[in-house]
Amino acid sequence: MKTDSVMRRLAAANPYPHDAAAAREELFAQIVGQPAAARPVRKTYRRSLVVAVAALVAVAVLASTAFAISQWLGGDVVKPDVTNAEYHQAQRQLPLPPGVTWPTLHFQANTVMSRGGGGGFAVGIAQNAWECEWARAIRARDEKSAALAQTEAQRLLRDNVIVAPAGASENWAPPVVAGHPYAVYADDGGYEWVRGTYALAAAGHPQRLAQRCRANSPG
Amino acid sequence: MTAETDFRAVFSHLGAVANYARRRGSTDADALAAEVMTIAWRRLPNVPKGDPRPWLFATARNLLLAEFRARGRTPHLAERDLPAPEFAELDSQLRGALLALSPLDREALLLVAWEDLTPSQAGQALGINPAAFRVRLLRARRRLRARLEDDGPAPLPVPEVEGS
Repeated sequence: MKTDSVMRRLAAANPYPHDAAAAREELFAQIVGQPAAARPVRKTYRRSLVVAVAALVAVAVLASTAFAISQWLGGDVVKPDVTNAEYHQAQRQLPLPPGVTWPTLHFQANTVMSRGGGGGFAVGIAQNAWECEWARAIRARDEKSAALAQTEAQRLLRDNVIVAPAGASENWAPPVVAGHPYAVYADDGGYEWVRGTYALAAAGHPQRLAQRCRANSPG
Repeated sequence: MTAETDFRAVFSHLGAVANYARRRGSTDADALAAEVMTIAWRRLPNVPKGDPRPWLFATARNLLLAEFRARGRTPHLAERDLPAPEFAELDSQLRGALLALSPLDREALLLVAWEDLTPSQAGQALGINPAAFRVRLLRARRRLRARLEDDGPAPLPVPEVEGS
């Protein structure tokens, strides 16, 4: 194809003919060190809240005796009314950006979740909302909104995210719940990845933050 | 074969993706390339093992479109239409001829000439079947040649001087 004189001329005019040699190993390690997601262990809102809820419902239908079995196994699982109550209680503690409203979660009657799951949903939704707001504000050069969103996103990460101990099971929960909404992150580097994302955003590079926003947005 | 080993092969194209973004006018090409690789890691099963470059360029292209939309440079950008980069480094004749092409014709030419993709690979990157891409490429070349001929002969190349 490049035997054609026009294509040869075009190829010769390539403004960046060689790959830039960058500090690649560090980036490689950073990427493979992160999870296939900064994914909370038990809460599955990461890709899509709708999909997550649908999956939960499907699991609940398939295992119609899940609640009884879980009790038999000794797990601290709760019915949808408790999860919904946790979700609503968390809404009173977690602010959302202006104009954003809490979505309604629908669980079938025989769905079961770990205790604290409703609060975890709320934390994930609030995190996503503030991250999207932060990315938007940076790109719009809206410094006041960006500062507020940064504060809220960092506060959520500091106060409402718990990293499970290394090797903990997927059902791990902290010993004290006490009405405080929290999301649990696996010990797989996800928490550090989010912190790194926030650090980049704080330095004016919102691309990774925007990508998290898109990946975690419901629907 | 571990996921990391698979990803290492994908990651070897980081520089090519960064340069692609740079050539298309990204304001932060390195960050965009890093984002492409992050997406590739997360979606590794979806990345073609044999030659991931069309997939990587298509992902980079989507991110570029988002970047341009966010910058307000082209708020109503069509899916395939990357805006023309600045082309500041090109001679004025070639720059003018490229800018006169449609965005998709221009991208077809540049994917082959600058990103070194085969027509089949470039077609994949643009979501066009290989036969349709070849036709588009042929027409784009003709249009570019016509524009260049309209503008007269190419400027004489300036010899590079070493050690000066």
